This record gives sequence, C-alpha cells and structure tokens, in this order.
Amino acid sequence: MKKIANQILYNLKKEKSSFISFGVIILITALILNCAAVLLCQVDSAYDTKFEKLSTATLNAIVPEVQNSSELEKAIDETEKVEKIESHTAIMTEATVKDFNGADFTMNTVFYNIDDKRTLNNFEIVNESENDVDNPIYIPLYVSNFGGFALNDEIIYVIDGKYHSFTVAGVIEEMQYGNYGLGLLCVYLPKEEFAELADSYSDKAVVEYSMSVKSDASLDEVKDDVSKAIENKGVMALSILDSESVKGTRTMVTDLLVLILAAFALIILAVSVFLSNFKVKNAIESEITNMSVLKALGYTSAQIVASITLPYAIVSLLFAVLGIGLSYTLLPVLCSVLTVQSGFSFAVSFDLLSFVCVACILCGVVSFFTYISARKIKKTQPIDGLRGNISSKHTKKNYFPLEETRGNTKFLLVLKQIIASTKQNVMLFLVSFVLTVLIAFSGTLFYNVVVEPDNFMSALSDEVADVIIYPKSDSVSELELKLGNDNRVQNSLKYMSAIVKIEEKTVTAFACEDFSKVRNDVCYMGENPKDADEIALGSAFEENMKIGDTVRVTVDGITKSFQVTGFVQSVNLQGELCELSLEGYNSFFDQNQTPALYVYLENADNAEKITKEYKSDYTALVTDTVNSYKLQTEAQDMYMGITVVLVVAIFAVTILIVLFILYIVIKSLLVKRRQELGIYKAMGYTSSQLILQTTGSFMPVSMVAIVLSSFLAIYYMPAIYQFIFETLGVMKNNIEISFGFLMLFAVAQILVNIMISIILCMPIRKISAYVLIKE
Amino acid sequence: MSNKKEIIIKATKLKKSFITGDTEQTIFENLDLNIYRGDFTVIMGSSGAGKSTLMYSLSGMDRPSSGEVVWNDKTITSLSDDRLAIFRRKNCGFVFQQIYLLDKMSLMDNVLTASALSGANKKESVKYAKELFELVNIPEITRKKFPSQVSGGEAQRAGIVRAVINKPEILFADEPTGALNSNNSTAVLDVFTKLHNDGQSIILVTHDKKTALRGNRVLYVKDGKIYGECDLGVYTSDSKYREAKLNNFLTEMGW
Ligand SMILES: Nc1ncnc2c1ncn2[C@@H]1O[C@H](COP(=O)(O)OP(=O)(O)O)[C@@H](O)[C@H]1O
Ligand SMILES: [Mg+2]
Repeated sequence: MKKIANQILYNLKKEKSSFISFGVIILITALILNCAAVLLCQVDSAYDTKFEKLSTATLNAIVPEVQNSSELEKAIDETEKVEKIESHTAIMTEATVKDFNGADFTMNTVFYNIDDKRTLNNFEIVNESENDVDNPIYIPLYVSNFGGFALNDEIIYVIDGKYHSFTVAGVIEEMQYGNYGLGLLCVYLPKEEFAELADSYSDKAVVEYSMSVKSDASLDEVKDDVSKAIENKGVMALSILDSESVKGTRTMVTDLLVLILAAFALIILAVSVFLSNFKVKNAIESEITNMSVLKALGYTSAQIVASITLPYAIVSLLFAVLGIGLSYTLLPVLCSVLTVQSGFSFAVSFDLLSFVCVACILCGVVSFFTYISARKIKKTQPIDGLRGNISSKHTKKNYFPLEETRGNTKFLLVLKQIIASTKQNVMLFLVSFVLTVLIAFSGTLFYNVVVEPDNFMSALSDEVADVIIYPKSDSVSELELKLGNDNRVQNSLKYMSAIVKIEEKTVTAFACEDFSKVRNDVCYMGENPKDADEIALGSAFEENMKIGDTVRVTVDGITKSFQVTGFVQSVNLQGELCELSLEGYNSFFDQNQTPALYVYLENADNAEKITKEYKSDYTALVTDTVNSYKLQTEAQDMYMGITVVLVVAIFAVTILIVLFILYIVIKSLLVKRRQELGIYKAMGYTSSQLILQTTGSFMPVSMVAIVLSSFLAIYYMPAIYQFIFETLGVMKNNIEISFGFLMLFAVAQILVNIMISIILCMPIRKISAYVLIKE
Repeated sequence: MSNKKEIIIKATKLKKSFITGDTEQTIFENLDLNIYRGDFTVIMGSSGAGKSTLMYSLSGMDRPSSGEVVWNDKTITSLSDDRLAIFRRKNCGFVFQQIYLLDKMSLMDNVLTASALSGANKKESVKYAKELFELVNIPEITRKKFPSQVSGGEAQRAGIVRAVINKPEILFADEPTGALNSNNSTAVLDVFTKLHNDGQSIILVTHDKKTALRGNRVLYVKDGKIYGECDLGVYTSDSKYREAKLNNFLTEMGW
C-alpha cells in the first residue's frame, strides 16, 4: 500500500476535476439513497414504537349505542384470541369541516370525550393552548397539518346542516385513525362540550369496543371472528378497523417515496458505474506506456491495478460519506412532508445501518466494476505496453477508408471518430438512454398533472361533481326540476354513500341512479350495476370473488343477495367499497332514502355562485350545499405544486449529471486527442471545425439514445405508472403518454446536451498547432 | 544572393520571447529576413538556438511577440486564429521530426484528411495523392497500413506527401530526419530534393551537415539573430566544392 501511495496520489491529482465531478455524482446518489434507506429503516419502527407507546388497540369495532348490550360486550370479550377489551361511548357522524385547507371537507368523524379513562388507544397532546378557550376541541395532527388549523383557530363542524363552532385547544397525536385514506377521523371534546353534542345527536351515539389481540393471533382471523360475534347478536357494526390496514394507509406515501427514491438512486448509480468504467479504460489506454514503465521497474500488476482502482474507491467512499451527511439536512424536510400525509410525527436520527449499507454499496459497486475494467492490464506484457500496442486491436481495420468511401471527407472523419471511440459511445448511449427514462417519467407526470389534470385526478379521487346539494327528504324531485331548468347546469345525478356489510366485511357503498353518467368511472373490470340486484365490488374483493358470483349484502339488519357485475377501485378506501344501483340500495328500506344531488355544470366557474344561491334561495328544499369543484381544484393545485417541484428537481438533477458526465468525457477526450487536434490544426483545420467534429463524434450517439428511449417510453412508461398506481390500489388509470410531449422533452434534452458539449469543447480553441513543436 | 528572385516572406523587426514565471527569455529580436520563391532554405544553428521558433513564426504556426511577417503582401501577424488556420491550409505544408501522423488512420487517409480542406475535387485529390506516393516510393500496399505498421522512413515520406498534397507555397520541415536512421534519412532527403527540383519552395530546420547540403541557401541562427548566411548553389549528389564551402561557413559561424 505504501509503495503505491504515490501512484494513487499522482492519479488523483492528475485528474482532480474529473474525480470531483465523479464524486459529485456519487454524492447525489448517496444523498438520495440514504434518504430512502433511513426512511425504510426508521419510519416503520417509529410507527410501531408510537403505536406501542400509546397502547393502541389492534382492533376497534363501533356499534350503534341503541343496539349495545352487556351480552354483546361479553360475546366480543369471549372471542378467541381477544386479550383485553375496553369500551367508550362516542358520537359518530358524517361531518363537514368548513375551510379545511380552503374548502369544505366531508368525512365520517368520531367525537370522543377527552376525559374518559383509557388504557387502550391513548393519545399524546403535542400542543395545547395556554389560555382557556370557548368551546374547546382537540384535533388530531392530520386535521391540524392538512386542514391548516393552528392552536386557538376556529374550526366549524357542520352536522346535518347544523353549524358547530369550536376553538382548537390542542393538537393530539393518536395511532388509531390517522388520515383521509381511512374514511374515518376522530376528534376529542372536553366533558361538557361532549355532553352537549351527545344530547343533540342521541341517534348518532355509538359504543366503541377497543381490543388488544394476543400476540400469536392472526389479525384477519380475529377480525372475522369479532364481526361474526357482533353479527350473531343481531348488531350492525358501523366500522371495524384493524391496525394493519391503518398502518397501510398511513405509511403508503412513505413507502411510495422510498420506492421512487431508491429507483432514482439506482439509476444514478448505474450512470456512475458506466462512467467510472469508461474512465478506467480510458486511463489504461492513454497511460499504458507509463504503466509499462512501472512494470518494467518491477511493480506488480496487482499494485498497478490497485493504483488505478483505489482512487475511485477512495473518492466514492469520501463523497458517499459526504452525501450521507448531507442527506440529514434533507430528511427533516421529507419527514415533515410525510407527517402531513401520515398524520403521525417522527424525527429521524442518525442511522448507522443505513450509513454502512449505503457507503458499502456505493464504494463496493464502483470498486468492483473499476476492478473488472482495470484487470485487463494484467495481461499486457510490459514491452507491448511500451510500444503502445494495447490499442492495436482498434487500429487493425481502417473503417471508412477515405479513398474508397464515397462522401464528404469531413463527414467521414466524424464517422471515423465515432468508431474510434466505441467504448465511450457505448457508455454515452447507456447513460443517455437511462437518463431519458427519468426525463420521460417526469415529462409524463407533468403532462398528466399539469396539462391534462383530469387524467391524474381521476385516479386519486372518487366521484367528483361540481356542486353537491343535500335536499330535504321530500324535495328531491322538486329540486331536480329546478336544476333541470337552470341553464347553467349540465345535468344532475342522485348519488349517495352509506355503510353496508358485504358477507363479513363492512365497507362504504356508493349508490347512483345511473353510473354510466358519472364523470369518474372507477370501474376497471366488468360493468357498473344497473338493476336492483346488481353490485360492483371494490378491488379488495377481487381475490375471493369473480364476476357473476352472488354475494350477501346487509343493510340495517336486512340481508339480500346481489350479483357481481364488475370491480371498482378507490385509492382512498383501499378497495373496500361497493357500488349499488339506487333501487338496489332503496330495496333495503320501506321508504326511499334521501340521496344527495351531484350537480355537473356547464361552466365550473359558476360553482361558488350556485353553491351559495341554492343554499340561500331554497332554504325550504335544501339542507346544505357543497362546492366540491373548489375542493377538487384545491387538491389538484396541491398535486400540481408537488409535481412541478418534482419535475424541476428531476430535471435539475439530470442536467447536473449530464453536465458532469460530459465534462468528464470531453475532458479526457481533449487530453487524449490533444496531439491529434494539434496535427489537425497544423493542417489548417479551424477551431470551429474541430469543435464540431468532436461534438459530432459523440452527440449523435446520445441523440439516438435519447430519441430511442423517448420513443420506447411510449411502451414502457404505462407499465411503470401502472405499477406505481397499483401499489396505491388504483387498478385503472387514465395516464396518457403524449408522444408530442415526450419528443418535446427529448428535443429539449438534446439541445441542452449540445449546448453543454459545445461549451465544454471550447478549450479546443486554445490547443494550438504549437503543441507539436514541444516534444 | 540572387536579387532577381521573388520574395515570398518578408519578416521585419521580428521578436520572440517566452515568459516563464517572472523571467523573460528572448529568443530573437529585431530580426529582418526575406525568403525567396524556389529556394531550398536551410536554417542551422546549435540546439536551443531558436531555429524552430523562428521557422514557426515565419509560417504562422506561432505568433511572434512583435514585428511583422508579410507573405506576398499579406500581413499574417495580424490574422485571427481561424483566419491563420485557413491561411495555413492554403500556403503551408509541415513536416515534423516526430512525424505526427493520425494513428487511427491509414497513410492514404492521413493524406486525404489534409486534402479535404482544400475544397478540391476528391477524385482529383486521390489521383494526385497516388502520384505523390509514387514520387516518394510508397507502394499501394503500404499506403493502406497504419502509421504504427510502417517504418519511420515510410511514415515520414507519407508525412511529406500529406504536407504537399494541397500544393503549398512553402514546405516547412523541422528536423525531418532527426528520428531516422541513415538509410531512411537519405530516402527522405531525396524526396525533398526531388520536390525542390520540381520548383517547390522549402524551409528546413536541421543541425545536421549532410542534411544542410541539400539546400541552396543556408542561414545560421545564433545569439538571437541571423548570424550569417551562405549561398551553396544547386545541389548535386557529389559536389566536393559545396561541401567545402559549407564546412568553411560553419567554422566561421563557430559550429
Ligand atoms: N513554449 C515555450 N516556452 C518557453 N520556452 C520555450 C518555448 N518554446 C521554446 N522555448 C525556448 O526557446 C529556445 C529555442 O527553442 P527552439 O526554437 O525549439 O530551439 P531549436 O533551435 O533547438 O529548435 C529554447 O531555449 C527553448 O527552451
Ligand atoms: Mg528545434
């Protein structure tokens, strides 16, 4: 090691700037990879730790208070593998939060009494107001972060059209519910406020049974057993939530982020491997004489190989450590973004395992591949090296002999140059191809979120109308008439949601008078239900059922059979849903239920006006109206914001990488071809001719790779998006691959490449024919 | 000195110095020199005297620190780099001691790479290249080889073909036989003589007496100036008189 230390230092110093460029690429890789690794290692355990710390129940069942009995409690308690149960009364209702992140936000909400004694499902107060406030309420982190409610802010809940104003007295963290994805949120009220609310809504009173389950039990089985036990008592559970599904929805975005970061890092790692290989091969070619001199002096091949390989190992280790260090400045930002979505706060700490893994992977992969390339020097006899014979393989055949080949000589010279630098071109081809995948990915995302936002939104949301009107029970047809006569309205649909039970599973049901008229058709297989005995099931049922099967559906204690016509998706409900025809749903009741009216407008800009108008002008007919267009555009704006940031970040990183790669390639090219360029200059070739000839020798290859990759993206991009959406539970997406957009991005990428190359080739102007005179 | 001869290059008050760190090294200063059409001018001097530096200043390959170089009424010292490159491709051919052929190309392709710049018809260039290869005695089969596969003499003769393919006004050669053994040297020098006899103007730098004999005008560079010059007359393969004259001259110069 000592003997070759000088050689290593020499190699490092000689190409300082190239090594720094290479190092920066490694640094970016390490930064991204370490973010992924730390999140992977820590979020899960942070979640579990908090889950344990708050003694969160693994299973929670909510039943209407009127149906509760001591027998029911006994039955649940005696269910096999249930370790411990605890019950609380609460109020469960659909409630709309006003000005939730700028819009109305409707969600099933459970109101708890904060003063109840609890041994299970504890919560932690993260932030509490110091002063006494009117109508205090304690809201979960998710509502606070996502809805934009701070301490002492007013928060209005609308229940059955009635407004309830509270003041945020505290923000709490709990692990039982969590985010929008579950379709169920909770809030806590102090004793008096709770009692007041309970008085007004005695019909919405519920009892919640929280259970801890024996450690050897299968959660799914216990869940089934519990719901059977409840059913056997003739009770309809309003919700049975298990902690696994909760965890799944709450960590979904984190998992997705880890996946994308890791994929991104691996692509850049591949790029750095190509690059280091290229550099090593190049170094061997241009340094073969020096190396042979060393060999002749008695250095062993191993020592020489080490002197070439070790600088890469050292640089990648050094910059990997630097990148890992830097990642800890980025991680807190990622954490706070993820907290908003996951509804639980966590801070990452230095992670030794990630550190070791990331550093070892980067350093190891780079060392391994550089060693493979450097190894061939072992086979070279010193005397061959001294004669410069190592490249004899390349000079055996004269490609495109100028004498015989037809065509412009200057053009043929470019072709010769392309052939002469095959290795470099293979590397550039691969790198350009791979980087184009990133560009195509972000380009497609940009197109579908910003240019054609409906494509993206339809995958993430349930049915969205422009305005939703909740009529009073007997005024549905009258309102429909009014809407029909309103020329600002395109059409309206009777639509409703409710909680039903399919076999043993409690899910959200959507009923609509005509699913063929909805704007966002969520059916991805088979058909929507039309007749009274038809049903379409959520993707969660796809495993055990098929189209044509008969299923038992229970609503309000009545069970009927339905025929499965198709499958539908929902990212928010994790596939736990179903669709019924309106007649199908009403067949459970003696009297038709009052649906909501989903109103679709000719011009969505009128949504705000119409929402207000119908509420104030038809007080006799309407309980409430919601501007759901606004709600949707606000969500859309958020996704657009994130997408633009993401696309810009991917672009910036890609351009940065391209810049460093071209820098390394061109630099080594200029060093290698210095004399050759001098000869050309002596012959009278101008700088601009040579800059064009040089860029011409590698640009076409990278252009072909970019165009080819963009073109192939039409085929592979849908698969990538399908994969990502499927991990989110979306089976059918409307992501469009715009050929024009891909080509636009490809052209932009090519132009940037050309510009960078020409700028980097500028030093050719400084190479004078005079270099030849100095031996 | 024959007064009837036409001047190609007129250099006046030429100065060249190199600045290394804080010290300035002047190679030559206040140097006036004419080069004539049809002459085989030889520049002699001891190693490090500044022969090459002078030649490259005259040829537009390098810029003098001050002074003027005029070619047929055209002042090249004021041209931009690219203009100078275009000027070189029309007017100068270069032959180097290290030969400097492009090693990834056959001898023929090396030559055609240079002819591509002249804008001449490719067929004609190929034809002329073949004639020149005949002239320098490189057979067809050798022309297809790579520089690394031929002898130094063959490579240098190909180098000369490349230098004259565009019919330059002046052929410049910097110690063209410096790296060759004596047989190869003679063959290369014979090519120069042939070209000179055909009317080619040549400027050749050497510190070898035998090589210098090929010229008709010998300049001696010393102490930063043209220390002296000698008219040898036309080369004949066996002239004791010319040899004696050169010997006398060199002794006088302090060789
Ligand atoms: N680019 C340069 N930088 C510094 N010194 C130089 C440079 N080129 C030549 N010299 C110096 O100029 C002097 C003359 O060089 P040169 O013309 O090559 O001599 P020669 O007569 O052997 O051809 C030498 O001392 C050399 O060191
Ligand atoms: Mg010299």
